[in-house]
Amino acid sequence: MAMEGRFPNRTLPYLLVLPSIVIVAVFLILPSLQALYLSLFEVSPFGTRAIFVGLNNFREILTSDDYRFSLRLSVLFAIAVVVLSMSVSLGMAVLANKPLRGIGLYRTFLLWPYALSPAVAGIVWALLFEPSSGLMTYLIRLTTDRSPNWMMDANYALLVIILAAAWKMLGFNIVFFLAGLQSIPGEMIEAAQVDGASPRQTFWRVVFPILSPMTFFLFIMNSLYAFFEVFGLIDVMTQGGPGGGTEVLIYKLYQDGFISIRWGYASAQSIVLFILVSTLTLLQFRYAGRRVFYA
Amino acid sequence: MTVRISTSRVLGRHGLLLLCVAVTCFPVLYALLVSTFDFQQIFIYPPRLIPGTSLLENVRLAWTKVGLGRLLANSFLISISVALGKIVLAILAAFAFTYFRDFPGKNILFVVILITHMLPLPVRIVSTFQLMDNLGWVNTYYALTIPFFASATGTLLFRQFFLTVPQSLSDAARIDGAGPMRFLTRILVPLSYNNLMALFMVEFVYMWNEYLWPLIVTTSNEMRVAQIGIKMLVATDAQAEWNVIMAGVILVMLPPLLILLLFQNHFMRTVTFGQEK
Amino acid sequence: MSRRWKVLGAALVTILMLSSPVAAQVKIKLWHAMGGARYDAITKEISAGFNKLHPDYVIEPLFSGSYAETVTKGIAAIRAGDPPHILQVYEVGTQTMLDSGEIIPVTDVVKPGEIKWEDYFAPIMNYYTVGGKLSSMPFNSSTAILYYNKDAFKKAGLDPEKPPATYKDVEEMGRKILASGAARGAITFGWPAWMFEQAFAYHNQLYANNENGRKGRATQILFNGPFGVEVLTRWKKWADEKLLMYGGREYAPNKAFLSGEVAMLLQSTSQVTTIEKAAKFAVGTGFLPHLEGKPQGKSVIGGASLWVLKGKGRSPQELDAIAKFFKYVGQAEQSAKWHQDTGYFPATHSSEKLLRDEGWFKKNPNHETAFKQIQAGPDTPATRGVLLGNFVQIRNITDSALEKTFSGRLGPQVALDEAAQEINKVLEEYGRLQK
Repeated sequence: MAMEGRFPNRTLPYLLVLPSIVIVAVFLILPSLQALYLSLFEVSPFGTRAIFVGLNNFREILTSDDYRFSLRLSVLFAIAVVVLSMSVSLGMAVLANKPLRGIGLYRTFLLWPYALSPAVAGIVWALLFEPSSGLMTYLIRLTTDRSPNWMMDANYALLVIILAAAWKMLGFNIVFFLAGLQSIPGEMIEAAQVDGASPRQTFWRVVFPILSPMTFFLFIMNSLYAFFEVFGLIDVMTQGGPGGGTEVLIYKLYQDGFISIRWGYASAQSIVLFILVSTLTLLQFRYAGRRVFYA
Repeated sequence: MTVRISTSRVLGRHGLLLLCVAVTCFPVLYALLVSTFDFQQIFIYPPRLIPGTSLLENVRLAWTKVGLGRLLANSFLISISVALGKIVLAILAAFAFTYFRDFPGKNILFVVILITHMLPLPVRIVSTFQLMDNLGWVNTYYALTIPFFASATGTLLFRQFFLTVPQSLSDAARIDGAGPMRFLTRILVPLSYNNLMALFMVEFVYMWNEYLWPLIVTTSNEMRVAQIGIKMLVATDAQAEWNVIMAGVILVMLPPLLILLLFQNHFMRTVTFGQEK
Repeated sequence: MSRRWKVLGAALVTILMLSSPVAAQVKIKLWHAMGGARYDAITKEISAGFNKLHPDYVIEPLFSGSYAETVTKGIAAIRAGDPPHILQVYEVGTQTMLDSGEIIPVTDVVKPGEIKWEDYFAPIMNYYTVGGKLSSMPFNSSTAILYYNKDAFKKAGLDPEKPPATYKDVEEMGRKILASGAARGAITFGWPAWMFEQAFAYHNQLYANNENGRKGRATQILFNGPFGVEVLTRWKKWADEKLLMYGGREYAPNKAFLSGEVAMLLQSTSQVTTIEKAAKFAVGTGFLPHLEGKPQGKSVIGGASLWVLKGKGRSPQELDAIAKFFKYVGQAEQSAKWHQDTGYFPATHSSEKLLRDEGWFKKNPNHETAFKQIQAGPDTPATRGVLLGNFVQIRNITDSALEKTFSGRLGPQVALDEAAQEINKVLEEYGRLQK
């Protein structure tokens, strides 16, 4: 799109981007480089001594049982959250796309978990599964005769945080799926129906492929969320327990950096996270094209 | 061509949609319910489903127990500052990238801003904390706001929007002798209204819900934010007082919810607009 | 004319009078981790009481989160150059504080004779005395004891006044409890790594080399020797028989005990007031169970103490304020009230006497159990408590090893060996940083 309507000023553009550049350079890029630097050291809690250890921290990460467990746990958690949240929200978005009286009201109620924080979602689901008298605990006892106690059993704890995390993202996913669905030209649907396709075939053969850029975008966003933004959810509920059963990578990073106060080791962990997030983001840039993303 | 749908199908759709709404709403409704209980009623089994009468008392307890008033005020302050700060910086940067003749380094600078997406907090958390330490910003509003002012999202959003603005407008402005800043403030900004509102909502909600950074960067109760208030309500080695906790949670939850409801339409419009590429 | 001068003069004098006490008021910042009922006790009783008694001095307590968070914040404040005067640090932070170079030992703050140290209980003093100096001020000391559900015992046909004394008792009584359906689990414990350390001290076994880190810095953990393996094997046996319901770290298992799901709980005595209040059944307490055939040791002190931080230097008034605060906290009435409000030990003999004279222990026998337990046994490096650098990390590694054993992922010897290897590396890293 040709832009001859551009202003000729030479210095003004620099001034306009200056604030953003300064903030990015000082608060994002500089600390990231420092994280890389710090990851090569062992640093005492009071910061008074730093010993260069090269790639030792990374070696420790790769050979540490605890870290590998946390990594596997995080991947499992992310997959569960992404699959659960996206499939349920797609279904809800399809329903919310149908013409109906009061659909706007329904959409409001479907969208609103977006405003909740992971911490709020976590505490609310912790309540639902309260081991002695939570509503979900009661329902599960009624139907399966099991007594879920997330405070003592790591499997239940994991289940509860997966549910809480997936639930929280429903609003976000529904909005985008809905937007995607609404952008599908009506003629294509009609053409498929004229061709005799059943609603299910219409969905899977026509709608879903058109939706795939949006699906991919949401896949990346949900993955980033599952790895990086669920800290609050875990901190108010299980604090990584019981027995490290919910200690995902971001929580382990916090533990090692700010509780055990091992600055160098924690920085190495954050570098590993960087590799993870840049892989996801680069994938997104390449395949999702020029899409607006709301972080 | 409108298709007439049978009444039973309409009812069926309503039913399904109600079910969906139930899924998204029931956890919080349950929380609201428990926030009306007194301490004994929490542990009734099977769980009690009739509201209690202790809501106000629980709110009062939650309020005084962790100084919720101050925490909410802090959250408001930083959420609004960051949302505004991000918008301003993003508009300025997007404007620079879109409406000026190519300047040397333009692409590099653009990439630099976009890189923020690859550097979420966890990647640099230890060193950013140490930076705050060195600047003396630990436990200050500065640490809670300034690092968040740059926005890749916002810059991209506005840039994409600016690209769709008819060239004739900027041409007309130049012919009229208006400088770029006047064009920006008089024409572009008003045009960007929807995007502005949408971004404000998104960033406000994002900042309000931010947990990890305030946790590590604030050390005194006066500086903490509403999210940490939840943790403070829970942190006890005795039996958790779920009724009081939920009362606090409801309070912490309301502001972003209200903002969402107020700005919902702008948000939806921007997202759908973004689709028409 | 003279009237105006008189008024002015009076105003001036009033202003001077009002400003002087304010100017002379010395503020002492105290960062602590006492939440729940303890928060009220430390804020409304102790601090308010002291401030009233000493109008020139103001103690400002600040709740800083959990023990771990409080330490982290303290460290951050030290690095920023503006630390609080007093920092409450849990016992596992002892080595870190000692090596920080940022503390003032209590014996350097309190003038000789200002506090009667002989009045303090030896085990408590011994824990915090390193290199002949009292490094931090005892404040809230606890130890681990056994809690049990008397009603469940009755239902299982056991004598509700007789808690188990040995591991064998735990097994036999536990089986009866499960068989009768009195509870779903026989025993559970909080702070599993701490319980493991307790087991060593209780049987007079060293946990780490260099006399538990008291003779020199500990460089090797010893818990994967025969004794440790035997204890863990027994615990695993309990888990396999479903006697032991593993309760998670820290205070999580309290809920299982309080809800009646588990009949016995090994937990800190600092919970005794809370547990008695919250339980809907009769609560009994007893000593930690003894492993048959092993020597007699003593349970080890836990809890936290108050450390004085150097900052940029403390004025004589500040040091005096701190010393007076420490003296106040140790007074019989204060110490006794703190004990009653929380369950932490009354730290001095005179506070114990006060409680006894009041008949407190007769009315609250559960509060006395921990007390009796720490007095029964020898004073050796093994019973004094282990000092380890990076103790927080080490506790996590130990917790993991115990959990892996309980879940059956690893056998006890292998789990402990692996943990020991990792811990020795951690100790080595710590030692390197201190040179």
